[in-house]
Amino acid sequence: MRLLVVEDEPDLRETLKRALRENGYAVDGAADGKEGLYKAETYEYDAIVLDIMLPGLDGWELLGKLRRTRKTPVLMLTARDNVPDRVRGLDGGADDYLVKPFDLGELLARLRAVIRRSASQADSCVEIGEVVIDTAARVVTQRGVPVVLTPREYSLLEFLALHQGEVVTRTALYEHLYDENDDSLSNTLDVHVSNLRKKVGHDFITTRRGHGYCIEPRA
Amino acid sequence: MIFNSIRWRVQAWHSVILVLVLAGFGFTAYHVARDNQLRRVDQELEQHFILLFRPQPMDSPPAALRHGGPPDPAEILAHIRGAIQRAARFDATQANSFYHILWSTNGNVAARSPGSPMDVPYPQLARSPAADFSNAGEANVATPPAPARPFPGQPSLARTRKEFREVVHVGPFDDRLLVGRSMAADLASMRRLAFWLVIAGAAVLGLGLAGGWWVASRAIRPIEDISATAAKIAAGDLSQRISLTDTENELGHLAGVLNSTFARLESAFNNQARFTSDASHELRTPVSTILLQTQTALSRERPSSEYQETLEACQRAAQRMRQLIESLLALARLDAGQELLRRDECDLSAIVGRSIELIRPLATHRGITIQTTLSKALCRGDATRLAQVSDNLLTNAVNYNQEGGEIRISTANAQGMVTLIVTNTGAGIAAEDLPHIFERFYRADKARTSNGGHSGLGLAITKAIVQAHGGAITARSEPGSRTTFTVSLPV
Repeated sequence: MRLLVVEDEPDLRETLKRALRENGYAVDGAADGKEGLYKAETYEYDAIVLDIMLPGLDGWELLGKLRRTRKTPVLMLTARDNVPDRVRGLDGGADDYLVKPFDLGELLARLRAVIRRSASQADSCVEIGEVVIDTAARVVTQRGVPVVLTPREYSLLEFLALHQGEVVTRTALYEHLYDENDDSLSNTLDVHVSNLRKKVGHDFITTRRGHGYCIEPRA
Repeated sequence: MIFNSIRWRVQAWHSVILVLVLAGFGFTAYHVARDNQLRRVDQELEQHFILLFRPQPMDSPPAALRHGGPPDPAEILAHIRGAIQRAARFDATQANSFYHILWSTNGNVAARSPGSPMDVPYPQLARSPAADFSNAGEANVATPPAPARPFPGQPSLARTRKEFREVVHVGPFDDRLLVGRSMAADLASMRRLAFWLVIAGAAVLGLGLAGGWWVASRAIRPIEDISATAAKIAAGDLSQRISLTDTENELGHLAGVLNSTFARLESAFNNQARFTSDASHELRTPVSTILLQTQTALSRERPSSEYQETLEACQRAAQRMRQLIESLLALARLDAGQELLRRDECDLSAIVGRSIELIRPLATHRGITIQTTLSKALCRGDATRLAQVSDNLLTNAVNYNQEGGEIRISTANAQGMVTLIVTNTGAGIAAEDLPHIFERFYRADKARTSNGGHSGLGLAITKAIVQAHGGAITARSEPGSRTTFTVSLPV
């Protein structure tokens, strides 16, 4: 999952990025509204953490412009907690709202929720056949037995599972699993897919040659 | 209490006055009417008297009157008796039943018309000795009500006895002639008059009270409007205003004054609310940083270098909060006028000189040159606070300047004022922002500056200090070329 953090206060931005990376997200940062809008329009993010008070272009303006082209889930961060501001944010296209100062645990839970909702997945546990992916605990089990995955393998499995039945292109996988600072080679993706197949079964992920990868929905 | 209400008091006074006026008027009207009625009855009686004792053509006048000799009492008495009998006959045909009584000199009833009351007392009326039949003189006992007098020169008397009205004349032979009639009909009509006067008075009183109530209510209504609006404002809705329908009268003026007071109150309140919200906003970001840093760091075991980074970030956040809290406290003290500023003799140029030395390393780092024209500028003030003013202005001049720019600083003593002028060659302040730059937390770019550390209160504090010294601060800017701040303080 790849996130964008738009926050002008450098300490808070870097802390947020670090905390989110430690929780398995690929994270990009933007220090002002213009940079944030550019990145949000250019890359495929799974969610955007957006501060309202920004230099250049404030959070509301950014959201208004972004919604013309993209439906990326947006979680707004704000220091103002009065109702009109919250209503304005939600009506302006924000998916959720968090008031500063916030708890890291709550931020992570809300991010998982908006990402899940955007994938039309109501439950935090995704069941595909014998494999159960608990997105809250970031734990995968097969027939009740835990499967040990690296963070990258988990992210790959989670992304494919949230888009089950769809063919996910390699480009999309790169976009969503690596942030702008990763300079991984294209074959590392194949390595991760192959390792994942070894752990959850070869048929679990099918390859559509020339298109990408897919997890077929199972009962 | 209902009687404490202005409307009720006005109404009470109004009704008391109305009742007094109506009672006085009705009483007078009644008495005038009653006097008129009496006078009319008296005239009637007198006319009757004349009619009665006027010599009739078919009668033979008394011999004494014919011959001019001494009158023969018996003859005259007979004449009067005849007259009384004629009158009795005449009266029988009339509605008003007159009665006549004749007393001879010794007080005995000499003649009495039928139907006359039996208990009529002998009138105590003395014969005027000077007067005579032929000698006309004014009566001195009682003034007869009628102009025509049957016995000129003789006293007469008009009296009311129970429901009877009687006129008595002293006759030519010291006899007493009385004509009277019942006033029952007249009294009844007077009672009717009194009744209608009371009815009319009550009606006027009722109308007057209703009108008074209406007028008082109309006069009170704006006060009720004002009171209702003030109550809503007291309850917290500061946007309420009194609707002004009539601005010309005294209450209209009052409402206008109150409305402008409410407007100032609302704006002060809104400013305060915005200030509080801004202050909390400024505090929320560093608190978020600290929370996030510590929660991340504590989530698992880390190398000590990472803990150090966390602590450094927390320290920066805490420093920022401390700075903000100090600024807020300074403003609050200046607002409340709690801080008694020292009024010492101090030299503004020396204060500014020390500020320049503090700021010079930062300016040199950014390649900014500082030009100074510092002439001695003695003023009375608090040196610590004035140093804060010059520090703030110089720090802004460096921070908002361009790389390799220029700052010009001058102090002067002119026209009874001490001035400090700081000019920088930065990007300048847009015309629409210029009026607001001294407002608390106002930022031209609507967000925190990326280098942090600025609370957005610096210029507000600067202005508050200058004003506490009785001075003024102004800003002029030519966007793209230069910005000038001018502080002037009284000597």
